Amino acid sequence: MVLRRLLTRLAAGAPVPVLPVAGLGMRDALRELRIRPELRPVDVPAAASVLVAAGSLPEEFGDPLALLHDGMPHPRAVVWWNPGNSAGPLLRRFADPTVVDGSADELVSAVVRVRRELYSGHRPSSEPVLAETGRAPWEGVGPYGQGGSGMTGGVPYGRPLAEVAPDRDGLRLDVVPLTVGPFFPQFPPGLRLEATFSGDVVVDCLPLVNPFVDIAHHALPVRPGLDVFFRALFEPVPIAELELARARDHLVWLADALSAHGLPALGVRALRLTHELEGTAAVPGVRRLSRAIEWSQVLRWSTRGVGRFDAAGRTSLGGCGPVARAAGLPDDARMEDATYRALGFELIVQDGADAAARWRQRLAEVVQSLALAKRAGAQRSEVTGQVESPRGLLTAGSAPASRLLPLLPGLLEGLEWGDAVATIVSLDIDLEEAGLAERLASAQAGAT
Amino acid sequence: MLLGPLGVALAVFIAALMAVLLVERAGEPAAHGAPSPTERVPFAGVLPPQVHAWSRYHARYYVMALVFLVFDMEMVYMYPWAVVFLREGGIAMVEMAMFIAILLLGVLYAWRERSLEWS
Amino acid sequence: MRPAAPLELAVPLVGIVVVIGVYVVAVLDQAISELVGGGTLRWRRVAFDPLRSAAHLVTQQRRTTERPDTPGWILAPALLSALAALALAMVPLGPTTVAADPETGFVVFSAAIAFVMIAVYLHGWSPNSLFALHGAYRFGAQALSLQIPFLLAMLATTLPAESLSIVDIVQAQESLWNVVRQPLGLPLYLVVGVGASFWGPMNLPDAADLAGGTGVEDSGVARLLWKSARSAMLVAVAAMGATGFLGGWWGPWLPGAVWVILKTLVLLVVLIAAGHLFARVRVEAFVVVAWALLIPLALLNIFVSGAVLL
Repeated sequence: MVLRRLLTRLAAGAPVPVLPVAGLGMRDALRELRIRPELRPVDVPAAASVLVAAGSLPEEFGDPLALLHDGMPHPRAVVWWNPGNSAGPLLRRFADPTVVDGSADELVSAVVRVRRELYSGHRPSSEPVLAETGRAPWEGVGPYGQGGSGMTGGVPYGRPLAEVAPDRDGLRLDVVPLTVGPFFPQFPPGLRLEATFSGDVVVDCLPLVNPFVDIAHHALPVRPGLDVFFRALFEPVPIAELELARARDHLVWLADALSAHGLPALGVRALRLTHELEGTAAVPGVRRLSRAIEWSQVLRWSTRGVGRFDAAGRTSLGGCGPVARAAGLPDDARMEDATYRALGFELIVQDGADAAARWRQRLAEVVQSLALAKRAGAQRSEVTGQVESPRGLLTAGSAPASRLLPLLPGLLEGLEWGDAVATIVSLDIDLEEAGLAERLASAQAGAT
Repeated sequence: MLLGPLGVALAVFIAALMAVLLVERAGEPAAHGAPSPTERVPFAGVLPPQVHAWSRYHARYYVMALVFLVFDMEMVYMYPWAVVFLREGGIAMVEMAMFIAILLLGVLYAWRERSLEWS
Repeated sequence: MRPAAPLELAVPLVGIVVVIGVYVVAVLDQAISELVGGGTLRWRRVAFDPLRSAAHLVTQQRRTTERPDTPGWILAPALLSALAALALAMVPLGPTTVAADPETGFVVFSAAIAFVMIAVYLHGWSPNSLFALHGAYRFGAQALSLQIPFLLAMLATTLPAESLSIVDIVQAQESLWNVVRQPLGLPLYLVVGVGASFWGPMNLPDAADLAGGTGVEDSGVARLLWKSARSAMLVAVAAMGATGFLGGWWGPWLPGAVWVILKTLVLLVVLIAAGHLFARVRVEAFVVVAWALLIPLALLNIFVSGAVLL
């Protein structure tokens, strides 16, 4: 007992392991939590104590969120950050969520306080959310469930066992179907993929519908990194602001991608760089980071040749931003803007069309954007109605993610799972942007 | 108790095993009762898995495993060779070089036949 | 019969070394991660956070899954820790200061490294969870490919010693450390050592793209023990590297045991920094590299150093 009290006292000072779940508008804010020493964002519920959901989530994510919550070990709690007014039904599923409306500092102190209360006993651990599902009992004849019909004579714990399927090397072994769900740690938030595994190779996959499209029709917050691009659809926006937002977005992507490849410390360095983009130390900092990335061989052995678009695939990459330019397509909406051309904007392309080329493309674009921002001064963009977002051509009604999703099955089939994750990470699919673009189109159509 | 070195090594192994097992048993607070069924769902990309993970997994590197067996047998021969090498002189080196060369031909064949890759 | 330490001394000593080694690895890991990430190094945080996180994990509930293999799940971290302890027991601190020095100490160490594959596979199979199983099978490919280069890289150190006993290997380095005599040996050993203890760039079984791999369902004490077992294995690999290549206890002014500790620390810093600075390898490419590049290099190392010795 004394030992237990001592341990809880010691544990109270540890960084709180949190499981971040990003909803609309809060993706970047959650990424920033990685810099905080008081919190430690983790990937899976089994490692977490506090579920930090942020922003608003579509209704259909209620069950996955509840599963995430139930997968956390006791003592656990839920904290919801800036839920907005559409997270009500999801919030009500939890017994005692803590709602925080405010800045990151307030969130951090709330999480620390919640954990302290959990451990001191003032707050009971959150009860499981999902009711007991009517799971089929173990069927069978013998004392261990054996016998009966079917491969093992039953349905152990209500879940079947995998069935066989022929494979290209002639063996008939089990294939495992799996829906890799909306909050898989290395996927963009909201991406669902129905995949079939044979061993660790993806035999086929199917991305499911973008869930952010059918969000209820109130004014939803746009995350700060995207806001300037959506404004540029309607009015001229200072180019410096656009380019700084682009550089910041690429660096946030870089932080995620580096973590996916086993370099979380470098990812935190990229996040720290996003705070200093306006100073003079920005470009040398980015160059140092690029050098560290080259040294880490992530562009050599982790991504070279991975997720390469073949010639047929390249033709469908129109409007896909850095992905298209990495495949050699000279595709950039900024070329049609006279102000950009006057600033000396030059298109950067790579050849290779694989993940390494996409990394290089984005790194080069960060440096280019910083240079453009410095030269631009107070000039504004000219063209409205379409804008080159960090992911590609954005108009009211169409965004790069909706162009990239149909390409996934052709790209991922036959890849080993690690390569598949590296490919998806390198594509930078942003379902939130796509959902907002479609909502904008329907709002405009509704208004006219 | 006076054990030989192998005995002490074995004792260290077993003692470490027991110690960790004890720590695992000791660290199981039963304060929260048995987990509910939804708390036991394996993590499979957030949504519950459709089938159990235990399956006839297609480990595609089975050809490489066969090549490994061959080289493992060769390693067994290299252990005593390394000990008597200096004593036996150049003859030992030539003999082992011939042995290794024949095995390396096998690896070269496996490499060219792309049996070391599988995707 | 070769000398061996009395049982009452050997077992607790190895245990203390393992525990301290795990703590040192955690501290170094956090310090290097902060440095690489560009943050400020706060010594209180770096020194105490591993202890606090360990306490947190001990007070967390231990999860289970629907139909796990519970004996296997409990045994896996115990097996890995025991293998690390066994490997550390082979490391000598002085000519007669060693927990166990059998005539075939080298073979015992290699056997300990080989069994790591069993421990990791057990850890991935037991929870009956798909991503854990992926990690287990990936490590099967990685471990099988690494066995031969590992053995070959270390075998070169037995050539000058004419013996498979670790103490003899260090005695043979009295005049010249193996890192100078066989320059290819230490880099090769570090690469395969990182792979055998699945750290950093070779962390295929517990990879981030598998959502944590074999440790995806671990929580509480199980998570703490698995992480500690991995760190202990890293310490064992570093210690044996210091013994076989950096001359063990040989060195001026300071007592031999202190030299062993210093050299082990140097190798630990190198290995942990490599973990934070190099990206994770792809399993297929790694298998090809291990067979087509590392084995010929290791063989070259053996034959060249053998020719030089003659």
